[in-house]
Amino acid sequence: MFKRLGLTLLSLGLATGAALAQSKPVLTVYTYSSFSGKYGPAKTIEERFEATCNCDLQWVTAEDAGSLVGRLRLEGESTKADVVVGLDMNLAAEARNLKLFAPHGVDTKGVAVPVEWEDDTFIPFDWGYLAFVYDSNKLKTPPASLKELVENPNGPKVVLQDPRTSAPGLGFLLWMRKVYGDGADAAWAQLKPRVVTFTKGWSEAYGLFLKGEADMVMSYTTSPAYHVVAEKKDNYRAAAFSEGHYLHVELAGRTRTTKQPELAKSFLDFVLTEPFQSAIPETNWMYPAKNPASGTPAIFKDMVQPSKALIFTPEEVLENRRAFTDGWLNATSR
Amino acid sequence: MRSLSHPGSLVALAILALVVGGFATLVLAGGEKPALLAIGPYLVRVLIFSTVQAALSSLLSLVFGAALALALARRRFPGRNLVVSALGLTMVMPTIVAVFAVLAVYGRSGWLAAGLHGIGIPVEISIFGYPGILIAHVFLNAPFVARIMLDALNTVPAEQWRLAQTLGFSPAQILRHLDWPALRGEVPGLAGLVFLVCFKSFAIVLALGGGPARATLEVAIYEALKIDLDFGRAAWLAFIQTALCLALTLALNWAIARPPAAQTVRALAVRPDRTDRGLLAWDSLVLVLGLLFLAPPFLSVLAGLAHVAAVLDADFARAFATSIVIAALAALMACLMALALGGAARRFRLAARMPRLAALYDALPNTLLAVPPFALTAGLFLAIRPFVDPATAGYILLPLINGLGALPFAYRFIGPRIMIAGERYGRLSASLGLRGLDRLKIMDWPILARPLGAAFALAMALSFGDFGVVALFGGTELQTLPYLLYERLGAYRLEEASSIGLLIVLVSFVLALLSGRLSHAAD
Amino acid sequence: MLLIDRCRLTWPDFRAEYTLAVETGALCAVVGPSGGGKTTLLHMIAGFEQPESGALTLDGRSLLPLPPARRPVAIVFQDHNLFPHLTAAQNVALGLRPSLRLTDAERTAVAEALDAVELDGLEARKPGEMSGGQRQRVALARALVSHRPLILLDEPFSSLDPGLRRGMIGLVDALRRRRRITVVMTIHTPEDVMEVADQMAFVADGSVIASGPPGRVLRQYDDPRIGAFCGTG
Repeated sequence: MFKRLGLTLLSLGLATGAALAQSKPVLTVYTYSSFSGKYGPAKTIEERFEATCNCDLQWVTAEDAGSLVGRLRLEGESTKADVVVGLDMNLAAEARNLKLFAPHGVDTKGVAVPVEWEDDTFIPFDWGYLAFVYDSNKLKTPPASLKELVENPNGPKVVLQDPRTSAPGLGFLLWMRKVYGDGADAAWAQLKPRVVTFTKGWSEAYGLFLKGEADMVMSYTTSPAYHVVAEKKDNYRAAAFSEGHYLHVELAGRTRTTKQPELAKSFLDFVLTEPFQSAIPETNWMYPAKNPASGTPAIFKDMVQPSKALIFTPEEVLENRRAFTDGWLNATSR
Repeated sequence: MRSLSHPGSLVALAILALVVGGFATLVLAGGEKPALLAIGPYLVRVLIFSTVQAALSSLLSLVFGAALALALARRRFPGRNLVVSALGLTMVMPTIVAVFAVLAVYGRSGWLAAGLHGIGIPVEISIFGYPGILIAHVFLNAPFVARIMLDALNTVPAEQWRLAQTLGFSPAQILRHLDWPALRGEVPGLAGLVFLVCFKSFAIVLALGGGPARATLEVAIYEALKIDLDFGRAAWLAFIQTALCLALTLALNWAIARPPAAQTVRALAVRPDRTDRGLLAWDSLVLVLGLLFLAPPFLSVLAGLAHVAAVLDADFARAFATSIVIAALAALMACLMALALGGAARRFRLAARMPRLAALYDALPNTLLAVPPFALTAGLFLAIRPFVDPATAGYILLPLINGLGALPFAYRFIGPRIMIAGERYGRLSASLGLRGLDRLKIMDWPILARPLGAAFALAMALSFGDFGVVALFGGTELQTLPYLLYERLGAYRLEEASSIGLLIVLVSFVLALLSGRLSHAAD
Repeated sequence: MLLIDRCRLTWPDFRAEYTLAVETGALCAVVGPSGGGKTTLLHMIAGFEQPESGALTLDGRSLLPLPPARRPVAIVFQDHNLFPHLTAAQNVALGLRPSLRLTDAERTAVAEALDAVELDGLEARKPGEMSGGQRQRVALARALVSHRPLILLDEPFSSLDPGLRRGMIGLVDALRRRRRITVVMTIHTPEDVMEVADQMAFVADGSVIASGPPGRVLRQYDDPRIGAFCGTG
């Protein structure tokens, strides 16, 4: 009985704006929480898309990219999602295997992602490089390469994310593999004494770093832009590593089960246009997948420009993740 | 089979069915055989670590909690009531707030390090590993232990205090003959509860553990669910964890039988050990150490005050309302289930004279702590998916899972009181022919009203600060305050996150205060 | 001789002032309406309550400066006399040595005390395994074992049935005569003690309003409180 009472209470408390747009078709877009949060781009994007589509765009959020896939897997064919925004390269193969996605049908020529884009299920909507972020007031000479960081026993202390629970954590695991190949496990053992801890997610790690628990944190080359723009602080920098940086690309796709394939397709088209792309840099702190006519956004001008983009294909990740993770576990859990 | 129609047995069966059904659905959804063997050696290491850290955490929490409870029972000082009420608070702190609070004090750049540097002792502090995990777990659990034990100490009859006075008991003899017998009854339940909470601890162990060697089974379950999407493995891991914890709880319950609850609670006589000099020094030491250990992390949370204005917006109001409603529903569920189970335990113990069966009912809420919430939620979600719209599933599952999570704590307040009501007035009401609602109203309600209130408030506080399974369902439609906190963290807004953390702690504080007031008031 | 001279105690809602004399070796029964201050009188003698003024002496020695444990007094309550985790013998032994580390002589004394209350053979039982009457005997044995000259009994047999109650009172009477112990006991069934008590004190409204041989005290019908108590007022 009180379940129903609860439902009533909840819908009273929550569904404030839902009733307003009943007549228009509803486009349900799944995304991760900070994308649709107070400081995320979702509100701007919603306004701009609704201005042209004569529809009602509704966001449904999961905690992070991993939760998005988990939720889709749980919901299966009964999912309400028309479009999903916020997967990443390392989850792409798993997401594809759910067999819930339809071909995107969008022309991806001319996207500004540093790799050739041939995927027909997902389109990129923004991207960035992984990087170690440090406080230049405290760390005067950051390592110039991943090897220097790993192999210097007196090097800076770092806080990382657990690759089993976090996207940047997995990203760094792959970065180590790209640089060290089969020697990655030995490199992990070398780095381990200077790893403060592996946190559950990016948030905990970044928080630990800002609270002074570590000299460097695994994050993105674009992270310092946030501190410059929002806090007017320029002491946080990303360390440029000579081997190149691991690439992080965020993806969008539409579902096969959607009741409104045209609307979903038109949203995917919208993703690669100026109104969507211009909302990304200063809210999601990532590079837009399509540069505006003026070139790279001004706020990223001072950011580290990696010499080389490192990346595994989604299929390689799917195939090797278990083995990579087990190797990492063995090397670091002693 | 007549006994099975009793609401308590129905609730117990329903809980079992939920758990078994949830796991079974996961196994079925998993498809091919799970590759457990591949991670076998690691699993064994994780299990050993989990057991050791949980055992150490519970041991320290119990010892420190008992010392604190005894010191508080012996001493009166200004602000004591506030301290006693605040004891229930640490347990309900969101884990990420607790992690940051512990680091703000004991971290590399924390207050302790700053203080030591200030007086010229430049040591590099690192608490990652066992120290960090133990500090955080003791910080979260010892005050709760102290509160439950303080309640137990108050049940020693006044006559025994007078006897102790007449016979000239020394402080050690008072501890042995009066305090310890009262505390002993609480030890198995509390030890089991704290052990299980620590055994499953997840974000804290990862954040403060320092490496994957220090992980818990819960991490592996989370990984299987969220990253590998290997539901079969998640279910088996969940099963292993549940079975292990179940065995442990039952062993504890069997080993130390519950003492009879029939003890008159009267105006507390003067404790003769209060004048002992040595004990005064010891208690002062315990209280000062307790204050030094517990207060700074609390104060560090106050740093969030600076940005409170920035987070008070429409998003916050909505998340606040959602959190309150979900917490209230969860608390209602927890209390109703506790009442039903407590009633069943009483029936089996008093009327049917089946104390072993009754002990099983008493143990059931605690064993729920062993069930991994992620696996259960995922399983139940899959189970109800054919019947319920996925968007509404969250509304049903979130209060249900939080209610199940709060049940062990609610039961601590309600279970023993139902027993006392039965032992005191059971025969009388039987002879008067009181049944059903009448019996509830006349026999149980006067004794249960306050503990029910206390249980409701604590269950609400627990659910209010819980991030847990919201991760699976949260979203614009189901956004709670802890969810909002993570959203801000994810957008680099550490200050706003800490303000939200502070507000969560404040609301939990009010609830815990209420719970404390209610549970300490006389009948 | 136990002498209580104008011992005054004050609470916000209750005032008491006691004056009473009990001969050494006598059995004094304290009766009166409930809430009248009987238990408070015993608690004051035992040292749980301290009077603001007045004198309290036993054989000329003041008890007031002594803490409860040092007073030559033993006490038995109505309930909760025994510690449930200790055996009968251990509960008795507490009267001699709270540390329970007994010498051989003390062990003999414990056995004798249990013998005196007719409980030999039940030394190893715990309170949960004994009847109500047996439990009160254990408490009595503990009061006896310490050889204190004054024993206070606070409604000790009220929850026993009449036959057992009389038997217990007879036992107390025999023991105090054999050992010359002074006994002050509160009781709400005065008829049980008419034959054995040397003295009766009627306590109401916080003071001893009549004291003397039992028969005479209860016949003072002119005081309405005694009349009401005896049901003849």
